[in-house]
Amino acid sequence: MAGSALRRLMAEYKQLTLNPPEGIIAGPINEENFFEWEALITGPEGTCFEGGVFPAKLVFPPDYPLSPPKMQFTCEMFHPNIYSDGRVCISILHAPGDDPMGYESSAERWSPVQSVEKILLSVISMLAEPNDESGANVDAAKMWRENREEFDRIAEKIVRRTLGIPT
Amino acid sequence: MRTLSISVLSLALTSIVVANAYYQKKQFYPSVVYITKSNPSMAVIYIQAFICVWISGKIIKKIFFGQLRTTEFEHLMERSWYAITETCLAFTVFRDDFNPKFVALFTLLLFLKSFHWLAEDRVDYMERSPVISWLFHSRVLSLLLLLGSLDLHFIQHAYLSTVSKGASVQLVFGFEYAILITVVINIAIKYGLHSVDLNSETPWDNKAVFLLYTELVMGFIKVILYVAFVAIMVRIYTLPLFAFRPMYYTIRNFKKAFSDVILSRRAIHNMNTLYPDATPEELQAADNVCIICREEMTTASKKLPCNHIFHTSCLRSWFQRQQTCPTCRLNILRNPATVPPQRQRPPNPPNPFGNPFFAGQNPFQMFNQPNANGAEQAAAPGEQGRPAGLAGAERQAAPATTHQPQAAHAPPPFLFPPFPFLPFLPPPPMPPHNLAALSPEELLRMEGSERENVEARIQCLRNIQMLLDAAVVMMQQYSTTAILSAQMPAPHAAPNPFPATGPPASADSPKVAKVAPTTSGSAQAAPTTGHSGANSGAQASSTIDKPGTSKEEEGRGEESTTEAGIEEEIRRRRLQKFVQAQTHAGGQD
Ligand SMILES: [Zn+2]
Ligand SMILES: [Zn+2]
Repeated sequence: MAGSALRRLMAEYKQLTLNPPEGIIAGPINEENFFEWEALITGPEGTCFEGGVFPAKLVFPPDYPLSPPKMQFTCEMFHPNIYSDGRVCISILHAPGDDPMGYESSAERWSPVQSVEKILLSVISMLAEPNDESGANVDAAKMWRENREEFDRIAEKIVRRTLGIPT
Repeated sequence: MRTLSISVLSLALTSIVVANAYYQKKQFYPSVVYITKSNPSMAVIYIQAFICVWISGKIIKKIFFGQLRTTEFEHLMERSWYAITETCLAFTVFRDDFNPKFVALFTLLLFLKSFHWLAEDRVDYMERSPVISWLFHSRVLSLLLLLGSLDLHFIQHAYLSTVSKGASVQLVFGFEYAILITVVINIAIKYGLHSVDLNSETPWDNKAVFLLYTELVMGFIKVILYVAFVAIMVRIYTLPLFAFRPMYYTIRNFKKAFSDVILSRRAIHNMNTLYPDATPEELQAADNVCIICREEMTTASKKLPCNHIFHTSCLRSWFQRQQTCPTCRLNILRNPATVPPQRQRPPNPPNPFGNPFFAGQNPFQMFNQPNANGAEQAAAPGEQGRPAGLAGAERQAAPATTHQPQAAHAPPPFLFPPFPFLPFLPPPPMPPHNLAALSPEELLRMEGSERENVEARIQCLRNIQMLLDAAVVMMQQYSTTAILSAQMPAPHAAPNPFPATGPPASADSPKVAKVAPTTSGSAQAAPTTGHSGANSGAQASSTIDKPGTSKEEEGRGEESTTEAGIEEEIRRRRLQKFVQAQTHAGGQD
């Protein structure tokens, strides 16, 4: 009997292929390993990331969906909630146990009700509205607060780079 | 390519060194002495030895693992760094024993450790892999056998050496290999569990339980080993700083495994004893899909106190992680009570108000308590809704449905014929949209942290507040009417306690005159509450209960004034009656 994690991932993959949400493409890197996905996320319109296509990698734990997957952008990113190595830091990717005072905010945290689609949609809204209190990338958070023009300029450069347009 | 060139280079250097020594000394033994005496030659030999270890590592890896996956490799690198720093710390404790043999033993330890980690990752991977080949099984089994026997051998060696020569660095090795053998046992147990699971046709529910207990027992053994090791080290040498990080993690893991076992046992016990199995109708109503595994619920499924339904097996494995409802995060251990009467209820009829608070029942049923604290009852949905967090349709619907049975429990002290009052009730303000069935777009709009999402959430809360206010209004009207009809002997006033048009019908009752303005005032409360809802919306989404309670107090105040009026009236009437009776009696006397 294949694991329940595998069956659920297959179900989600099927769902995503049948009804792809706008701006998101996601699927296993190869069909032999359903626990590593790659995703392409388009930058939300009307933001400094507009037009960009950002590749990312999702790694699922063996007990998915009981534990959340990990997500990492595989392209260069500059954003308050993305570490410099591309790891994404948003509440939906953390289990409520991760911080002791999480009861209040646990509504946005991981539970089996969440899905790949919801994660990617959250990431898109994170691109649109960074949470500058989370310190994944302190430089980016500071620039986002204090020097928006410079932030936009860097974001545009990254967008161009993801599209292969010379900067 | 680079590694190849480095190994070729080092091989060349080594042969030059050896050739040079042999050329100078012509004989085996003197040339060995020559090499060990010369520092540059020894450096080359060390590098060569290191590269030999590296290459043999690669070969063993190839034999037992084939190609490493990226995550396995990253994991290995991460752990290696910690292990190397800890080894360097260990060197500081044993600087007196420092010699090439010592370094070689530590290198060997690291070398074997890394294969333990890889084996652990590989066995964990069994759960994710769709197909497990015979090659995989034979590789894992032979590797575990090899690692286990090596660990045992080194433990024995350390033991004998400590017994015969007294405490030395062998203590550390003995301890490290003891830890490693627990790792091997742990991996072997996991491997066994996974293999059984893979070969079974149906999902094996108890696997997670076994894994949890394995974790607990192994954690316990490791904690004991670490404590004993630190105690011995402190007595003989000094504080073993290098053991602190792994010890901390081991103790933390053990603590977590322990509380997991306790809490999950309680939650699963609750599930098995308290929560009812879902009926086919309930399954139908819940789309028949278990939100945990996204599969159809044809087999056993349970209903939580919050009315959410899941597979029993899915719930069991989730409760081993967290003891909350996956959908609404209701804490199962804090709210273990369930509502058995719900099961006997017929499925809800179509909802006439489009309003979750009145879903499937006569609105009057909820408000048939004629006492003044009925206002609290009406405010209760708000109170209950608060801890659940209000960001999603299911979450909003949940408190409403849990509330219903409570209202139904309360035995109606006396029932009134609803017909005289019905035409005069102002309808509750219509919610702007149906809260019970939010569309995916509406739900989506409420998720996230952008301004528009927050606004959507606030809007939703406002709608809920409007419903609450409407409920309060209705309740007030109803209780007033109830009191009136119960107490008022004058039959002509009963059919028309709320003169919709014109002044109070009967001039003889100042009480009715007093009541009418209050009720019409509260009938007008709907626009006012919409207004206060707007205010509270501005006060951010978290404070839904505040306007509710203030409303409730207001309501109580209104009611007490009405009640005071009624009481006064009753007293007046009683006095009248009394006086009449007395005069009557006096007349008879
Ligand atoms: Zn299920
Ligand atoms: Zn629930």
